[in-house]
Amino acid sequence: MIENYLAVSSLGVDYWHQGKKVRALDSVDLTLDRGKMGVVIGPSGCGKSTLMSVLAGLNTKYTGQVLIDGKTPTGGLETALILQDFGLLPWKTVWENIVLGLKIRKKNLSEIKGAAEIILEKMNLIPLAKRYPAQLSGGQRQRVAIARALVLEPKLLLMDEPFSSLDALAREEIQDFLLEIWEETKLTTMLITHSIEEAVFLGQRIFVMSPCPGRIRKQVENPLAGDHSLRGRVQFVEMCSLLRTYLHGGRRETYETDA
Amino acid sequence: MRLMPNKQQGLFTFAYTVLGLFMGWWMLALVLDSPAVPLPWDAVKSLGESLRGDLLFHLGVSLYRVLVSLILATVLAVPLGIFLGKNPALDNKAAPLVYLTYPIPKVVLMPVFLILLGIGDASKIVLITLITFYQILVTTRDAAKNLEKGYVSSVKSLGATSFDLYRHVYFPACLPAILTSLRLGLGTALAVLFLAETYATQEGIGFFIMDSLSRMNYEEMFAGIIAMSLMGFFLYLLLDQGEKVLCVWTRL
Ligand SMILES: Nc1ncnc2c1ncn2[C@@H]1O[C@H](COP(=O)(O)OP(=O)(O)O)[C@@H](O)[C@H]1O
Ligand SMILES: [Mg+2]
Repeated sequence: MIENYLAVSSLGVDYWHQGKKVRALDSVDLTLDRGKMGVVIGPSGCGKSTLMSVLAGLNTKYTGQVLIDGKTPTGGLETALILQDFGLLPWKTVWENIVLGLKIRKKNLSEIKGAAEIILEKMNLIPLAKRYPAQLSGGQRQRVAIARALVLEPKLLLMDEPFSSLDALAREEIQDFLLEIWEETKLTTMLITHSIEEAVFLGQRIFVMSPCPGRIRKQVENPLAGDHSLRGRVQFVEMCSLLRTYLHGGRRETYETDA
Repeated sequence: MRLMPNKQQGLFTFAYTVLGLFMGWWMLALVLDSPAVPLPWDAVKSLGESLRGDLLFHLGVSLYRVLVSLILATVLAVPLGIFLGKNPALDNKAAPLVYLTYPIPKVVLMPVFLILLGIGDASKIVLITLITFYQILVTTRDAAKNLEKGYVSSVKSLGATSFDLYRHVYFPACLPAILTSLRLGLGTALAVLFLAETYATQEGIGFFIMDSLSRMNYEEMFAGIIAMSLMGFFLYLLLDQGEKVLCVWTRL
C-alpha cells in the first residue's frame, strides 16, 4: 500500500455564526502523494480557506482525520502557508520578511544570513531586499512570499489563492515561476484557486469543491500539468472545459473564461 | 498632524511661524500697554537671565516629571492595550471598567494624591501617568483589535510563539497609533503638569511661573512661559522624529 503524504478523511468543520451553526466543510476526503502538486478549486465561500487552515494546523476544531506524513497537523515547522494578501508584514522590509521565519526558529545569525542570501539570489530578489512590501508590484510581492516560505525548507507548501489579486499577465508569469520552483524542489504543494486555467496548468491532482456545505465533488487526475507550453494547446482548453463542467455540477453549459 | 514635511521647507515654516508669533505678541504688547504683557525682546532677555538663574533648575524638575510619567504610562499601557486588543474575550470583560472610568476627569484626584503621596514628585508623576495611561491604552487596544488577522495567521504559520507575535506583529503594527496617542498625550501631560505644579510645591516650571506672577515680575513670568512652550515643542519634535525613524513604512 502506498502511503499518502497528505491524507484527509471525513473532515468536517462547523462555525458558529450569531448563535447558528454553519457547516463549512462536510465529509471531505482527499489524498496527495509526496512530491506532487495538488490544486483545490471551487466557488468562493465553499470552504477552501477553512480546509487550508486545518491543513496548516491553525484550525484544530474539526471532526474526522487529517494526517500529514502520518501526523496530525500542528502548524509546526514543516508546513509553510502563503496567503493572498496580508502575507508579508508591511512594517518589515523584504529582507526582514524573509528572515522572520528563521529568526522565530532561533537559527543563529550567520545561518540566517546565509540561507536568506541564497534564496534572494535564486529568486532574483536582491535588488528589492531593502524595499518595503508597499514598494513592490503584486507579482514581486508574491515572489517574496514564496521566498519567505522556501527559506524555511518546508516539507509541505500550502497556498491560499496566492495569485488571485494579480493581473492576467503577472499571474501567468508567477505560475511559470512556481512551476520552475516545484520542478527544482519537488516540494509537496497544495494550492487553492478559483481560476480554472491555473488549476489545469499547475495541478497534477485537482479537487473540485461544491459549496454549502463544502464537499469534494470530484477528484481529477491531470497528466497535462507541469508543461510550460501547455497554455496554447488544444488539450489545455479541453481540460479546462471538462473542469468547468464539473464545477457546474456535471451539466455542460457555457461559462465565461476566467480572466 | 505631522510638524515638518521636509527639512528645508520645515525650517522655513519654523522661521516664519516664530517670526509671526513674535510680531503678534509685539503688537499685542503695544496695544495693551500693560505690564502683564511685556515686549517680546524684554521677555527673551529675561529668559536669558532667568536661565542663568534658577529657571534651568525648575525646567529640569518639570522635564523629569513629564518624561518619567510618559515613559511609565507607555510601559504600562502599551502591553496591556495590545493584550486586550489581542484577546477580545478579556477585552469584553474589561471594557465596561475602562468605559466607566475613562470619562472621569482624573485631574480632580490631585488632592487625593497630594494627601497619599505627599507634595513631592510622586503625586505629580502618578497623576500625569494615570491620565496619559488611559489615552494610550484605548488607542493601542483599538489598533491591536483592528489589526488584519491575516498577518497574525501568516506569522503564526511560521511557528511563532505568543511573544513572537507581540514582537513582530502586534507591537510594530500598533506603533504608529501609540506614537500618535503619545503626541496627543503630551499636550495633556503638560497641561496637567502645570496645574499640579502651581499648588503646594516649590519646584517646577509651573511654580516658577506662578511665583513670578505673585511677585509681579512679568518679564520673568514670560520667560517661564517661553521656557515651558519650548520644552513642549522639543518633546513634540522628538516624538515626531521618532515616528519618522521608526514608522517609515506608513509613509510609502
Ligand atoms: N470565522 C468564521 N466564522 C463563521 N463563519 C465562517 C468563518 N470563516 C468562514 N466562515 C464561513 O464558512 C464558509 C467557508 O468559508 P471559507 O473557508 O473562507 O471559504 P472560501 O475560502 O472557499 O471562500 C463560508 O460560508 C464562510 O462564511
Ligand atoms: Mg478563501
